[in-house]
Amino acid sequence: MNTAVQPRTEEPVAAAPSVVPPKPADGRRRGSARRPPLRWRIVVVGLLTTLALYFLLPVYWLAVAATKSTGDLFGTFGLRLVRPHLFENLRLVLTHDHGIYLRWALNSVLYAGVGAAVATFLAAMAGYALAKYEFRYRESIFNVILAGVLIPGTALALPLFLLFSRLGLANTYLAVLLPSIVSPFGVYLCRIYAATAVPDDLIEAGRIDGAGELKIFVTLVLRIMAPALVTIFLFQFVGIWNNYFLPLVMLNDPKLYPITLGLTSWQSFADRQPELYQLTVGGAFLSVLPLMVAILVLQRFWRSGLTQGSVKG
Amino acid sequence: MTSWRSHRLGRAAVLGTVATLALVGCGLGSGAKDSGPAAAGRTPGEKIELTFWSWVPGVDKAVDLWNSEHPDVKVKLEKIPAGGAGGYAKMHSALQAGTGAPDLAQVEYQEIPGFLLEDGLVDLTKYGVDDDKSKFVEWQWQQASYGDGVYAVPQASGPMGMFYRQDLFAKWGIAPPKTWTDFRKAASTIRAKDPNAYIATFPPGNSAWFTSLAWQAGAKWFGVDGDTWVVDIDSAETRKVAAYWDAMVKDKLVKTEPDFANAWYKDLQTGHIVAWPSAQWGDAILSGNAPNTAGKWRVAPMPQWEGSAFTSANWGGSSTAVLKGAKYPQEAKDFAVWLNTDPKSIDLLIKGGYGWPAAQDALQGSALDRPYEFFGGQKTNDVFAAADKAIDKQWGWIPTTAAAYEHLNDGFRKAIAGQGTFVQAVTAAQAKTVADLEAKGLKVRTS
Amino acid sequence: MTVSRTERRAAAGFLLPFVVLFGAFFVLPIGYAIYRSLLTTKRSGPLGLGGSRTVFAGAANYVAALTDEAFVDSVVRVLGFALIQVPLMIGLATTMALLLDAASARGVRFFRSSYFLPYGVPGVIASVLWGFLYAPGVSPIIDLLDAVGIHANFLGSSTVLFSIANIVTWEFAGYNMLVVVAQLKAIDQDLYEAAEIDGANAYQVIRSVKLPLIRPALVLTTVFTIIGTLQLFAEPLVLRPISTAINTSYTPNLAAYTQAFVNNNYSLAAAQSVILAAAACVLSFGFLHLVGRKETDR
Repeated sequence: MNTAVQPRTEEPVAAAPSVVPPKPADGRRRGSARRPPLRWRIVVVGLLTTLALYFLLPVYWLAVAATKSTGDLFGTFGLRLVRPHLFENLRLVLTHDHGIYLRWALNSVLYAGVGAAVATFLAAMAGYALAKYEFRYRESIFNVILAGVLIPGTALALPLFLLFSRLGLANTYLAVLLPSIVSPFGVYLCRIYAATAVPDDLIEAGRIDGAGELKIFVTLVLRIMAPALVTIFLFQFVGIWNNYFLPLVMLNDPKLYPITLGLTSWQSFADRQPELYQLTVGGAFLSVLPLMVAILVLQRFWRSGLTQGSVKG
Repeated sequence: MTSWRSHRLGRAAVLGTVATLALVGCGLGSGAKDSGPAAAGRTPGEKIELTFWSWVPGVDKAVDLWNSEHPDVKVKLEKIPAGGAGGYAKMHSALQAGTGAPDLAQVEYQEIPGFLLEDGLVDLTKYGVDDDKSKFVEWQWQQASYGDGVYAVPQASGPMGMFYRQDLFAKWGIAPPKTWTDFRKAASTIRAKDPNAYIATFPPGNSAWFTSLAWQAGAKWFGVDGDTWVVDIDSAETRKVAAYWDAMVKDKLVKTEPDFANAWYKDLQTGHIVAWPSAQWGDAILSGNAPNTAGKWRVAPMPQWEGSAFTSANWGGSSTAVLKGAKYPQEAKDFAVWLNTDPKSIDLLIKGGYGWPAAQDALQGSALDRPYEFFGGQKTNDVFAAADKAIDKQWGWIPTTAAAYEHLNDGFRKAIAGQGTFVQAVTAAQAKTVADLEAKGLKVRTS
Repeated sequence: MTVSRTERRAAAGFLLPFVVLFGAFFVLPIGYAIYRSLLTTKRSGPLGLGGSRTVFAGAANYVAALTDEAFVDSVVRVLGFALIQVPLMIGLATTMALLLDAASARGVRFFRSSYFLPYGVPGVIASVLWGFLYAPGVSPIIDLLDAVGIHANFLGSSTVLFSIANIVTWEFAGYNMLVVVAQLKAIDQDLYEAAEIDGANAYQVIRSVKLPLIRPALVLTTVFTIIGTLQLFAEPLVLRPISTAINTSYTPNLAAYTQAFVNNNYSLAAAQSVILAAAACVLSFGFLHLVGRKETDR
């Protein structure tokens, strides 16, 4: 919930960002006496349903396809369940090639989890510093960091590969982790959030109490910035999880692959080993499950955190 | 809203930082990567492991056999995507990165010059490979030799013939075409007899196949003259082949779907594609992907151009190379020679469908020398043995073959989409290939 | 507020880790790419076996990149793609957000979740998925269309770009929609009341109240979509084996990747990366500048 947004002091709420106004219980506009006409509502629901079908159809297909054998995959109609043996297929996915799929999954979690966590912490520190301290070149540094937001990550991957090759870091875990812990967008969001949600008086009060700057940051400021931190963590997590170009360029050893790279490598062998089509589909199904669940559950943090950035942006 | 405009001082700071960091980047070294310490060699009795990257089906069994016979020199096979589908990219990337490169790798003949340009292969003459020369077919040995060095151990080639559906040809009253004119006639007959069927597909993204057809027609695209490369892609013979297929496509006598893809496999299964000018290793592709058509295919010699002696061509051809940086090149070379000459190994590779062995005398009594059920009991390899003898052995490659293929692919794609002709594609590819070589700092001329 | 030394040191301490890493992994690669793009290799002997040296080449690689038909085609293609994809994406996301805003509460959470779901599917996996859905012989969509007599070819030269656009839209429309929804929720309810008092109907409310006030969200999503479409790589790469229309230089990123790892032209690839980064920056900055100016003009 958003209780963390409330400042701990008695400051008037006007200082806090004016976002997410109290939602009426049933989501309808307050004071709206007119109900929209039935025809209008049918159209709206009709459109919404059509869109839902569009977005859900491939996921449904994936679920159905994951239950089929290779022969059925190519032979039967895609949307119909035919001779389902989901658990058998998933067992094959998890045991193929000495369980490399699990290794890939752990790699993805490592890259995305550790990468996002470190990125969030670094971005929080930097954003806080830019928001709450005054020093020369503060704006210039911020502008350079902002420029980093606009640089496509893929344009950096190739030069990074060449650099890392020279340093002997290519084809290692660090090769993917190190570039992932830098999130200029996170710094941007954190700066804005810290500037609006962290009251100066709170920091002053902490100083008067004799707390060190780092203590103030860790015990007071981080808690206030939590919604933004969750947003950045999620954003960075999904970004690293989905990143394909960087690991593709950096990694050669299949034991280091994230799931995305691993599944496409299976698919590239599939025409010589047709059972890999089935494994690719099953593996894809397994891989999207946790992230989808996570996204559904954490949606609300996403929305409220994003509001900060977009309102001020 | 924050101001996006950085003031002059800020801009100077940024430029200063970039410049400094760029200089740091320079300081990290430039020029060719170092080749690492000289290979120390294995002490007797030392247990070592060699990594081997390959995509050839059946090679795993051969590797297992070696491992059971050589417990001290184990080979670890790692499957990689087929060379053109990302395998070579992995190898080049690993060589560039300086880590992760395997000791041994599958390298097709056309890629060897490209690897040599990047100093990526070990010269095996330093490890006594000359002693093995007599074990291999001469022209394939030449494919792996440049200057005074031998840079790979020949593995297999792909003499070409024509696979065709004998049952459907019989049903429609067509004899297996002996010339390309006959082929065209057969194509129209097939279209007339069954509106869903085509004699074959022209795959616009697979110019290696087109290259073989030009090879058959007598073209000589590449050569070396002293220290200058000679590129002659748009020779008269090539144009003849290009014009022929251009007409076939424009008259809708052939499909233009990619080969080695699902739609094409499905067409093979359902009799919508009924012939395939292809190499000997195509038999495994057919039996693996259209198993329900077993017994219905036969092999005939490749259609010929009128007025020329019987010639066939080669499609694909591969070797086992030792990559730079390998710690035990002697043992790696020994494994490579064993893999490609030991009769038991060859037997396993043939069963996997790896191609036409490069080893001398590998054919008699081998798994190739027998009737094939899939081909209705035909001893198909008699056709390929005859083809193998009728190949122009002088064909060579350039260091930028992959790029040349891409130029042809692009041109064919454009032509199929309605912009230009195949002949124009060939001419454009010629110009671009010359430019590629010049961009690499090499001397080029057209013939 | 006077800045004490402890505070200045603290600020530096907080900022430094990020700045150092940013310098190392953002600025340094760009610097190295620029440096590398100014070099070329000269060789002696037909196979360069006589030795090779790296020399300064000035703008030669840039000239080569910009005169390379395939690369220029890829840039034009991606720009054209952006021209269609960006309005489509933002339009769809906004429409979805507005629809959700207009619907009654009961179904909203279900719909919102289903629209956002594809964001959890990595781009590569989505391409693999849709690759199956575009492949004749496997795809239920093609089967269904065949049943009504339409012979769809999603992978032909005239349709594959739209097929790729579809994958990208499917993946990110829900995410962009959420950004807009968040902005919509932030609109002060009093404005709606005022509009109602003025007698505005639903369309007028949308045009005069909602659309103007979600502008910041639209700007944000547009900038990210522009950057994203220019980087198109995974989708064409995954679809390449099944579509004859996609070559190895289909998009600038794919072209750079091919130059680096297939043709071993690292300097040329570096030049292409720099061109791509510069184009993305210019377009994004240009867009933001345009939007910023429009705002000050009001």
